[in-house]
Amino acid sequence: MMRSILTGLAAAIAAVSLGVVPSYAGKSDDTLNWATDREVAVVDPYYNNTRELVIQGHMGWDGLLFRDATTGEFQPLLATKWEWKDNVTLEVDLREGVKFHDGSDFDADDVVYTVKHVSNKDNGVLTFRNVGWMKEAEKLASHKVRIHLHKPFPAALAYLSNAVFIVPSGHYDNAPNKADGKKDFGAVKPVGTGPYKMTELKAGEYILWEKHSDYFKASPKGQPTIGKIRFRTIKELNTQLAELLTGGLDWIWDVPKDQAERLQEQGQVTVENAKTMRVSYMAFDVDGDSGQKFFTDKKVRMAVAHAINREAITKNLVGPASSVIHSACHPDQFACTQDVTKWNYDPEKAKALLKEAGYPDGFEFDIYAYRQREYTEAVIGDLAKVGIKAKLTFLQYRKLRDLVWKGQTPINHMTWGSNSIPDVSAITSHFFSGGRDDPAKDDDVIKALAEGDTSTDPEARKMAYKKALAKISAELYWLPMFTYAKYYVYSKDLDFQTTPDEIPRFYSAKWN
Amino acid sequence: MAVTEIKSDAVALEKAIEPSPGALLRRRVFSHMGLMIGGGILLVILAMALLAPLISPHDPYDQILDRKLIPPVWFDSPKVTWAHPLGTDQLGRDYLSRLFWGARISLLIGFAAMLISGVIGTTLGVLAGYFGGRVDMVVNFIITTRLSMPVVLVALAVVSLIGSSLTVVIWVLGLLIWDRFAVVMRSATQQVRGLDFVAAAEALGCSTWRILASEIMPNVTNHLIVVATIEMAHAILLEAALSFLGLGVQPPEPSWGLMIAEAKGLMFFEAWLITIPGTALFLLVLAINLLGDGVRDVTAPENRN
Amino acid sequence: MLQYVLKRLGIAILVAVTVSMITFSMIYLSGDPAIALAGETATQEDIQNIRRVYGYDQPIVVQYANWLWNALQGDFGQSHYLKKPVADVIFERLPTTMLLGACALIFALVLSIPLGVVAAVRPNSLIDRIALTIAVVGQAMPSFWFALTMMLWLGIYWRLLPISGTASWANFVMPSIALGYYITPAVMRLTRAGMLEVLSSDYIRTARAKGLRPMTVLFKHALRNAIIPVVSLAAVQFGFMLGGSIVIETIFAVNGLGFLAWESIQRADLPMMQAIVLVLSFFYIILTFLADMLNAWLDPRIRVM
Repeated sequence: MMRSILTGLAAAIAAVSLGVVPSYAGKSDDTLNWATDREVAVVDPYYNNTRELVIQGHMGWDGLLFRDATTGEFQPLLATKWEWKDNVTLEVDLREGVKFHDGSDFDADDVVYTVKHVSNKDNGVLTFRNVGWMKEAEKLASHKVRIHLHKPFPAALAYLSNAVFIVPSGHYDNAPNKADGKKDFGAVKPVGTGPYKMTELKAGEYILWEKHSDYFKASPKGQPTIGKIRFRTIKELNTQLAELLTGGLDWIWDVPKDQAERLQEQGQVTVENAKTMRVSYMAFDVDGDSGQKFFTDKKVRMAVAHAINREAITKNLVGPASSVIHSACHPDQFACTQDVTKWNYDPEKAKALLKEAGYPDGFEFDIYAYRQREYTEAVIGDLAKVGIKAKLTFLQYRKLRDLVWKGQTPINHMTWGSNSIPDVSAITSHFFSGGRDDPAKDDDVIKALAEGDTSTDPEARKMAYKKALAKISAELYWLPMFTYAKYYVYSKDLDFQTTPDEIPRFYSAKWN
Repeated sequence: MAVTEIKSDAVALEKAIEPSPGALLRRRVFSHMGLMIGGGILLVILAMALLAPLISPHDPYDQILDRKLIPPVWFDSPKVTWAHPLGTDQLGRDYLSRLFWGARISLLIGFAAMLISGVIGTTLGVLAGYFGGRVDMVVNFIITTRLSMPVVLVALAVVSLIGSSLTVVIWVLGLLIWDRFAVVMRSATQQVRGLDFVAAAEALGCSTWRILASEIMPNVTNHLIVVATIEMAHAILLEAALSFLGLGVQPPEPSWGLMIAEAKGLMFFEAWLITIPGTALFLLVLAINLLGDGVRDVTAPENRN
Repeated sequence: MLQYVLKRLGIAILVAVTVSMITFSMIYLSGDPAIALAGETATQEDIQNIRRVYGYDQPIVVQYANWLWNALQGDFGQSHYLKKPVADVIFERLPTTMLLGACALIFALVLSIPLGVVAAVRPNSLIDRIALTIAVVGQAMPSFWFALTMMLWLGIYWRLLPISGTASWANFVMPSIALGYYITPAVMRLTRAGMLEVLSSDYIRTARAKGLRPMTVLFKHALRNAIIPVVSLAAVQFGFMLGGSIVIETIFAVNGLGFLAWESIQRADLPMMQAIVLVLSFFYIILTFLADMLNAWLDPRIRVM
C-alpha cells in the first residue's frame, strides 16, 4: 500500500496540475502551516487555556522571564534582573526599548496593569491558579516593579515564565460586553510584545500570524525568520496526513505510533518522538464508593498491578520516548523520585493474589477512560489474561471527571499533563491533597504534601514529597503507568526543535 | 405429428398439475436473482455470527502486542502467517476471529434496533391506519415531529451525553428510526382496512384487537418485512457512522463499524484493515437491501417498481 | 386553499414547539449541567455561581420558558466554550453548510434525474441495471469510507483537488459529491417510479397517438408531472443533508454547521448543541411546509385533504 502511495505521489508530482489547487505550500510562500484537531476562537493567553493557545501565547506575548525548555534555566526576557526581597516580594528590573505590536513602548505601567487585571478574581482568568498567587505589582520607576505575593510560592518563577504574559496598559478596558452584561475580555484584539503578531482570525478555520519586525534583538527567544505562521483546525487525522503528504501542511503532532513509523519508513517527512509532561495512571476506588468493592482489597490492587504489562504497552503502542513510571508524577518534575515500590509484570503472581483475595475465577468490573482508547484496550486485554473482565466506558473528559468526583469509577484510567509545570506540586498535590480527585484521602499523604507545598527549602520539599509518593505507590492508590510520548511529523523543509514541555516553539523555526 | 402430440401432452400435463400458490411463490423466489444473492450472503453472515465460537481460530479479544499488524496471507510480506489468515489488528488480535465475532454485534445492533423501531413504528402506524380520525392526526403529528429532528445529530448528542455502550447505541437508534415503519404501516393498514373481509369481520362483531391481530397484521406483513430490512441496514450503517466519530460500540467488542473506525487512521498505510470489515459491512447491507427488494417483488409483483 | 394553508401552518408551529421542548430537555441528559460546565479547577463555589448565572437553579418550566422566549428573539444564549453568542456563531457557519448542501443537492439531481428517466424509458435495460446498482451500492457504503477513498485518489494520487478547507470552489467538489451521493438512490428511484407511472397513463398515450415527437412527450409532458414528488423529496432531503453533513464536514475540514455541531458535542457545549438541533429542525419544518404548499399548488387534489 505504502509503495503504491509513493508511486502515486511521484506520478502526481510529475502530472500536469489543473491549476485549481491553491498553493499555500509552506516554504514557497514563506508560511508555516500547522494544524491540530482543535478549534480556537479566543486568542488571548488568559481567556483560553487550550494547548493550542499556550503555543500561540508564546508566539504573541512575552513573560518577564524565559525558561529554557531543555536546561530548565531561567533567563531574562522582559525583565533584565530579578531578586527576592523576602519570600513574598520579588523586585524586577524591566527591559527598555521593547515595543508592542501596536507600536507603543513597554514599561512598568504595563506590568502593573497586567498583574492588577489578572490577579483580580472577578476578571475571570480561566486558569486562575496560574496567576492567583500574585497579590499586586507596584511601580518603583519607569522600568522597575515589585511583585507582591499572597504567601510564599516556590514555583513563582516557573509561572512567571510560562503563564504570566504582559499585555499593554489599558488593554482590556474597552472590552465589549457579553450578553450577561459582563465584559468579554477574550474578544479584545490581541496585542503583545512577542515575536509574532496576529493578523487574521477565522474561528474554526485558521489563525494567521505575521513576523513582528520590531521584535527586540536581545530576546532569548531569538529573532523570527519565517514570514507567516498559520494555525489550521483539521479534525480528521487522515485529512491532516493527506495535507502533509501533499504539502498543504508543514507540521502536525499527536500522530499515532503506527502511522508515524510508516511515515518514517517512507522518508518523505521528518518524524520525531519526543517526551511530554503527561503521564498515564490508573486510579483505584480504594474506599469502595463506586459500589464495586473489589479494589478496597489491596491484594486485588496488587493483582491488577502485576497483571498489566506496562513495558509492552509503552514499547508497542506509545513510542520510544515513553517510559514506565513507578511514582505518581513525571520523572522530569522536581522532587519526583522513582525510589518507591515497583510492581513488575507477573501474571502468575497476579493469579495467585486473586486466588488469595477470594477471586480464583476473577471478576467483572467497570473501567473508565477518556483518552487514547487503544491504551486502555491493551490494559483490558492484559487483565483478561488473569481472568479479570473489565468493561470499558469511554467518556469525554468533563463527563468522566464528574463521575470521578462523585466516586463512581471502580478504576479510572486517566492522564494528567500538569499544565507543563515541572514540579511535583502540579500533579501529586493536585490529586492527593484530600480533594475531589483523591481516591484515598490518606492523612499521612495529605500531611506530607502540605509540607512539601509550603516549604521553600528544596531539600525539605524533596523529603516531604518522597514520603507521600512512597506511600501512594506502596498502598497502590494509583498504579502509575507510563509517560506519554508524542510523535511530531513535519516537512523536510522545516528546521524545528522539539521540547519536552509540549510547547512547540514555532517562533524559532526556520526553513532549511 | 409425433412432435405435436408430445407438445400437446406436455400442455395437458401442465394443466393437470396446476401449481399451487405456494409453489408459484417458491418458483418466484428461486428465480429472483437479487433475492437469492441477498439471501445467500445473509445466510453466510448469519452462519459466521452463530458459529463464531466454533470457527474462530483465536479468541477475538486475545491481544499479542508483539504480533500486531500482520497483513493477510495474500500479501507479500515476511510477516504473513496462516495462523492469522486475515492478519492481526493494531493490538495483535486475530482479524478473522474479530470479523466472525463482529458479525454477531453488527447483526445484533441491526436486528435489535430494527425490532425496537419496528414495535414503535408498527404500533403507531397500524393504530393510525385502522382508527383514522383523531388517532391518525396524533400519530401523524408524532411522525412529523420525529422527522424534523436530525437523526445523526440527535443520536450523537444523546450518546455523548449519556455515555456510549452497546445497549445505549441500540436503544438510541431504535428510538430514532421508527418513522418509516409508522409511515408505511399506516398507509398499508389504511388500504387493508377498506377491504371487504375487514368489514365482514367487523359485521361479525369481532373485537378490535382480534381484527388487528388476525385480519390486518397478516395482510401488511410483506410491507413490514420490506421496511424491516431497510431499517436494519439503516441501523447498521448509522452505528458505523457513530463508531467513526468514536461514539458507537465500545471496544473491545468487535463490531464491524468499530473495526473500521479503529483502523481508519491507518487507511492510507494499511488499507486492508479497513477494506476487510468495510467489505463485510457493505456486503451485509447490500444483502439486506437485496433481500428487502426481493421480498417486495415476490410478494407483490404488481409493485415491482 | 387558505384553510389548508392555515391548517398546515398550525401543525408546523405545534411541531416546532414540541421539538423545542425535546431539545431543551437534552440539558438534563448529562446530569447536572453546572458541574459539566465548570472548568478543570472549579470549586463548589464556582459551580454555584454557574448555576445562578445560567439559571439552572430555577424550576425547569421557568427555564424552558425563558430559553424559548429568548430563542424566539434570536438569542440562544452564550456558547460555553466559544464565549460568544450562539446565534452569531451559527449564522456565521450556516452559509457554508447551505452552500455545501446546495452543491450536493445539485450534484445528486444532475446525476439521478437523467438516470431515473432513462431507466424508466428503458426498463430492465443495461442502463436501468446500472442505475439500480448505483442505487443499491450507494445505500450500502458507509459515507466516510467513500469520502476517504475519494480523498485518497483525487487528492493524493492524482492531485486534482485540494484536500481540505474552504479556500476555493474546488474545495467544495469532493465534499459535495460525498454528501450528494447518499441521496442519489432515493431521488433516482422516485424519478424512475414517477416516470413509469406517468408514461403508462392515458394522456401520454394520447399525446403519443397524436404523433408528438417522443422527446417532446418525454420532457414536456411526462417529466413535468413525474417531477412533482421529486421536488418535495429534494426539499426534505436538503434539510436532512444539513444534519447529515457532520461526517463529511469533519473529514474535509469544512467549517460549517455540521462541524460546529460535532465540535460542540465533543466539548459538551449544551447551548450550542441545543441551538443547532433547533435550527436544523426548524429548517426542516419550514422546508416541508413549503414543499406541501408547492405540491398543493401544483396538484389541486391535495388541497381538499
